[in-house]
Amino acid sequence: MSTGEALARAAQATQVEIPQEARDKARELGWEDGLIELALSKGHSLQVIWQALRAGVDGERAKEFLQGGQAAIPRDLSWMNVPTEWGIRARPKDPAMGLTIADLMIGTYGDVPDVWTNRSEIARGSYPNPIVEDMGYTIFEKALVWADCCVPLYEEAIRDRWVSATDLNWNSLEPLPHDLERAVCQFMTEQSERAYFTGALWSGWLPEISYGFLELKLFLSTIIYDLARHSEAFRKRALANGGGLGLQAPTDFSRVAKEARSFPELAAILFVQDSMLYTLFSQGDRFAQNELERDLYRFVARDRKRMLDYHIERMKHMLFKLPDRRDEQNLYFNKAESRMGKDWVDPAVSEPLAILLGGGVANIDEGRRQLRELRQLQVDNYLADLRKATFERKHINGRLEQAARA
Amino acid sequence: MAANPTTESGLDLSWLDLYEDATSAEPGKKGLTLKEINLGRYADSARGAGDMTYRMRGAIPRPGAQRFGPNYQSKADVWAENCLMLYEEATQRQWSSARDIPWDTLEPLPDELERAMCQLATMLTEVEFIAGDVPGQWMPFVSAQDFEAGLFLMTQIMDEARHTDVFRKRALANGGGLLAQGAGLGLRTLIEARDFTEMSVLMHVQAEGFVQSMFRMGELIGQTEADKRIFRMSAQDESRHLAFGVMHLKYVLDTEPERREEIHHYLDKAEGDAAGGGSGDVTFPPVFEALCILLGGGVDKFDEGLQKFLLLRKRQINEYVHRLTVAGLGDRRQRLGPLMAQFLDPA
Repeated sequence: MSTGEALARAAQATQVEIPQEARDKARELGWEDGLIELALSKGHSLQVIWQALRAGVDGERAKEFLQGGQAAIPRDLSWMNVPTEWGIRARPKDPAMGLTIADLMIGTYGDVPDVWTNRSEIARGSYPNPIVEDMGYTIFEKALVWADCCVPLYEEAIRDRWVSATDLNWNSLEPLPHDLERAVCQFMTEQSERAYFTGALWSGWLPEISYGFLELKLFLSTIIYDLARHSEAFRKRALANGGGLGLQAPTDFSRVAKEARSFPELAAILFVQDSMLYTLFSQGDRFAQNELERDLYRFVARDRKRMLDYHIERMKHMLFKLPDRRDEQNLYFNKAESRMGKDWVDPAVSEPLAILLGGGVANIDEGRRQLRELRQLQVDNYLADLRKATFERKHINGRLEQAARA
Repeated sequence: MAANPTTESGLDLSWLDLYEDATSAEPGKKGLTLKEINLGRYADSARGAGDMTYRMRGAIPRPGAQRFGPNYQSKADVWAENCLMLYEEATQRQWSSARDIPWDTLEPLPDELERAMCQLATMLTEVEFIAGDVPGQWMPFVSAQDFEAGLFLMTQIMDEARHTDVFRKRALANGGGLLAQGAGLGLRTLIEARDFTEMSVLMHVQAEGFVQSMFRMGELIGQTEADKRIFRMSAQDESRHLAFGVMHLKYVLDTEPERREEIHHYLDKAEGDAAGGGSGDVTFPPVFEALCILLGGGVDKFDEGLQKFLLLRKRQINEYVHRLTVAGLGDRRQRLGPLMAQFLDPA
């Protein structure tokens, strides 16, 4: 019986199928044919052989080992001494907040590069493997996405979390007059859809952003989670007090956000929405019909404020770093304002709010007056927010201007 | 839709009386959850056809609504029967890596153990980063007709952000740092998926399953109370992701049994490409060595650690096959790649 036959028999006896990947790797490392079978016949598990192959054990060393010498899997341990920054002992700066991601921004780990060049999912600050696949990220430029405030806002979002199921007093709801309940429900239907859509929209952009801007991605994750909660909380309110879901939201504004071809365009468009919605919900006491709605709008406004803070700082940072892109922003604001103006004059958007502000259909004139006031406040605050971002918008879109006065 | 009855006051009010049924969901023991509002024409069982807009299930379609591009039109494509419960559980069980981990219990470790822990944390912060991108990639395709599945994925994105940050914090909190990047961890297979079910079975069931089995050995891997707590808290989150994946797979196999072979095909590819490791691959040499050192208690106890590592692999594989069996894919046992099959207990 030849050696080959003996090895084949031995392999048969073990009844282990040898994966092609293992054979290919063994060939690459210069293992003689039959060596894997020999190792198996000597009682070594396939896993241990695989670890040896992954560790790069060459044919000669494998043979030596099987003749009774060295360890099967070399203790390479070279990863222990890769040249990353060592000796880091992050400590909470604010004990009330605990160990935050801001506390990790120390040494080289705190360097957020202007341009990130690694195309893999490498953790920023770890030692790069020279041969890795391109993971398909498309955003590598800090100026397009970054705002320093995303670092503290991430931890604040976690601290300020709330739960619609138990943090709102559902038992406090009492029946409302038909027109008011229907107006609440129509408003909730619209806002539930807008929140779900915007959460899905932000989510779709996450895989575009490279690891260089890790903290930003963490913050965007809190935005997405906030929007999920808003969507379900609005839906719950619509279905909890004798009403139901009404007409789906107008699609003009959401479509223009969906059409964005780049992150800065998306962020500029959502700047408009998030500023307007922050003002709206921060004025929620004016149109809330009960304690539950007041609480809900307060929670939502607090979340929206974080989004708005991010927008303002991102825009400011981008305009500082890329001043030649300043005028371009007018194109996005103009589009967004125009579509928002169109949504605002939709009867299913404007009338519920006017009814709620006035206190019923019977008081619609007062409701309309208050709505004009509220819309003007939204526009004024929006322009003020843009100024905080160092952007002076000389003329808002005419359609939005008209909608605010309607 | 009602006619447009413009009133004397100039109001349109066409939106006011589009429906006649009144809905009053009552809070249950756990407050007003998605389960309580899953009723009547708003229930998932009353789901109608989608329309490529973001109209929430049960809302009245708007004439002239613009489409937003393709999304899944069939419930089976994204649904899991437990997603309502998992969403609410996720909102109740959010935790803070800043405040819920007893960072003050960290104590200096022998250098080799600290380095091993930091290497493991480096790999995990990398893996969890992708685990947030992957559901993000699919969110725009989840119809609002099945919004609860979408809401659940949004909680997963939050969970993965927290995991990414907590492992980074661990690496930087005890006198160490980040170490070597992973390679060949099988993460590309997750982002390469071209179908939601493919993504879910590879990420939720396989990859997160492997990670979950490892986290559940956190008492052995962790060297400090803080480490152990990190693994426990993270495992709690992973359980939800895994439960979604198992129940999604079950829903697909129950309602579209003709997809069985297609799903096997995805698993054949993932198990084969990663040579039995799959995503969250613990056989990547630096991670393998780090785990052996942590499980053994030092470099000098590497062989002892290796035996525990093999137990970990055994646990990972058997739990993986068990989950597939629960989902209705028990025949996977016969098709498992050899590097996995070697650990499989008899049926």
